[in-house]
Amino acid sequence: MLEVQDVVTAYGKIEALKGVTLRVGEGQITCLLGPNGAGKTTLMLTITGILKPRRGSVRFHDKDITGQAPGGIVRAGIALVPENRLVFPEMTVAENLRAGAYSRTGSAASEIANDMEAMYNRFPRLRERSTQMAGTLSGGEQQMLSVARALMARPKLLLMDEPSLGLAPMIVEEIFQIVRDLHKDGTSIFLVEQNAHMALQVAHHFYLLEQGRVTFDGTPGEMAEDEVIQRAYLGTRQTA
Amino acid sequence: MEFIDIVLSISDGVLFGTTYALIGIGFTMIFGVMHKINLAYAATSIGGAYVSWAISTLVPLPAILVFLISAIAAGVIGWLVYLCCFRLVPLDTPLTTLLATVGMLIFIDEVVVHETDGMPQPYPAIFDDVFFEFGEFGLRGDLLFIFVLSFAAMLVLLYLLYRTRLGIATRAVAQQPMAAQLCGISIERTNASTFVITGMLGGLAGAMIGASVGVLSPLLTLPVTVKGLIVTVIGGLGSIPGAIIAGLMVGAFENLFLALRGVTERDMYVMLLLFLFLTFRPGGLFHRSALRD
Repeated sequence: MLEVQDVVTAYGKIEALKGVTLRVGEGQITCLLGPNGAGKTTLMLTITGILKPRRGSVRFHDKDITGQAPGGIVRAGIALVPENRLVFPEMTVAENLRAGAYSRTGSAASEIANDMEAMYNRFPRLRERSTQMAGTLSGGEQQMLSVARALMARPKLLLMDEPSLGLAPMIVEEIFQIVRDLHKDGTSIFLVEQNAHMALQVAHHFYLLEQGRVTFDGTPGEMAEDEVIQRAYLGTRQTA
Repeated sequence: MEFIDIVLSISDGVLFGTTYALIGIGFTMIFGVMHKINLAYAATSIGGAYVSWAISTLVPLPAILVFLISAIAAGVIGWLVYLCCFRLVPLDTPLTTLLATVGMLIFIDEVVVHETDGMPQPYPAIFDDVFFEFGEFGLRGDLLFIFVLSFAAMLVLLYLLYRTRLGIATRAVAQQPMAAQLCGISIERTNASTFVITGMLGGLAGAMIGASVGVLSPLLTLPVTVKGLIVTVIGGLGSIPGAIIAGLMVGAFENLFLALRGVTERDMYVMLLLFLFLTFRPGGLFHRSALRD
């Protein structure tokens, strides 16, 4: 459903992505692994239109969306849960959700209210805190809010940039449960993750990004057998 | 000087201080949304008042309409300032936009001086013949009107910010621009609308200042710029409640020292107040940077 073709994105003279090609299948959980500085976040920001690629193309549902403004890409059906959550700290939880629905100019107010209700049902903690400022929430709660805010745009494809970053193991479990639930409800997911063990449990397809290039492309089975990945990402001890 | 005179000068100052509060809100909102200082803001406000004066010399208009025209004109000027100083100029070098706004401040001033030969022009007031007496205490009708109108404008602004889509977009961009974009909010459109809204507030403040003085003069822009910046700093950069409280405070403070020490010393004490804040509370009344990540 998403096809990234030979994308080069640069900050000034430094190319963070040096010709990335990958695809995300409909109804699948696709996982992007890679060390810090490999360009994972740059790729997410390029797909969502925050950064403009220097070369290459991004196609979604066979339509070219390369270089479109972020608003157009959200409306096309791609939403990103950004790295570090980036909730609006001095807006209430409810207002954060409303901001998430900003792009839905065609939806009636009642429809958006229904979706907010659905988010509160999915994340009961958010209902409890709906009138609280988002900046006062715990890290895990902010991550839930960030996911819920992205879902308020009703995306067909949800991008998640390291949703487990900096969270306690129990919360990480919870986040991955949410990933499974969302997938079961029909959302395709493109997940950036450093936690390869957790990712192995949910993803259908893996890419490894290193220094701006895709260096591995395969199924979970192939990945678990790949020696380089074994050494760098799975280690010898099972920690999960 | 009797005690009642002190009370009167403070209350008059608080009433007039609402215009400083409006100017401070303008500076602080632009800073909040763009993290940039627009030094042409007070000039925008006075410029709006001048446009309304120019129109009123062509067609006789009731004062309230003149004030309204001032607000609209300053909204348009605010948008032009945005285009010239923030849209067409690269944003990543902070000094560029700052100097562009200084240029704009001087440009607007020069246009005014050119069109009026530098002479002060009469500006209409409302209720300047009304005086409310409560025993020894009393309130000037025109100042009371300024107070009510300014607060009404602030209420409209708060409604816009906290009850509308535009408000969600504005606050989202101010708090977390990248996430705002990911929600489909256009940063450029939000910046532009912020300049128009703050321009309208400033135009209203400019008209109120003109009305209370009775004349418009190009000599107004510099002191209003300075007072607006002082209000912004005392209130805390980016804080609207801070700007409101600081505006009233500066108004009261300057009027008190006007009564105590005379017009030539007044502003020295306002500067002293700024100095005290910068020394003992540099973040202002409502310090916010802690909440941004």
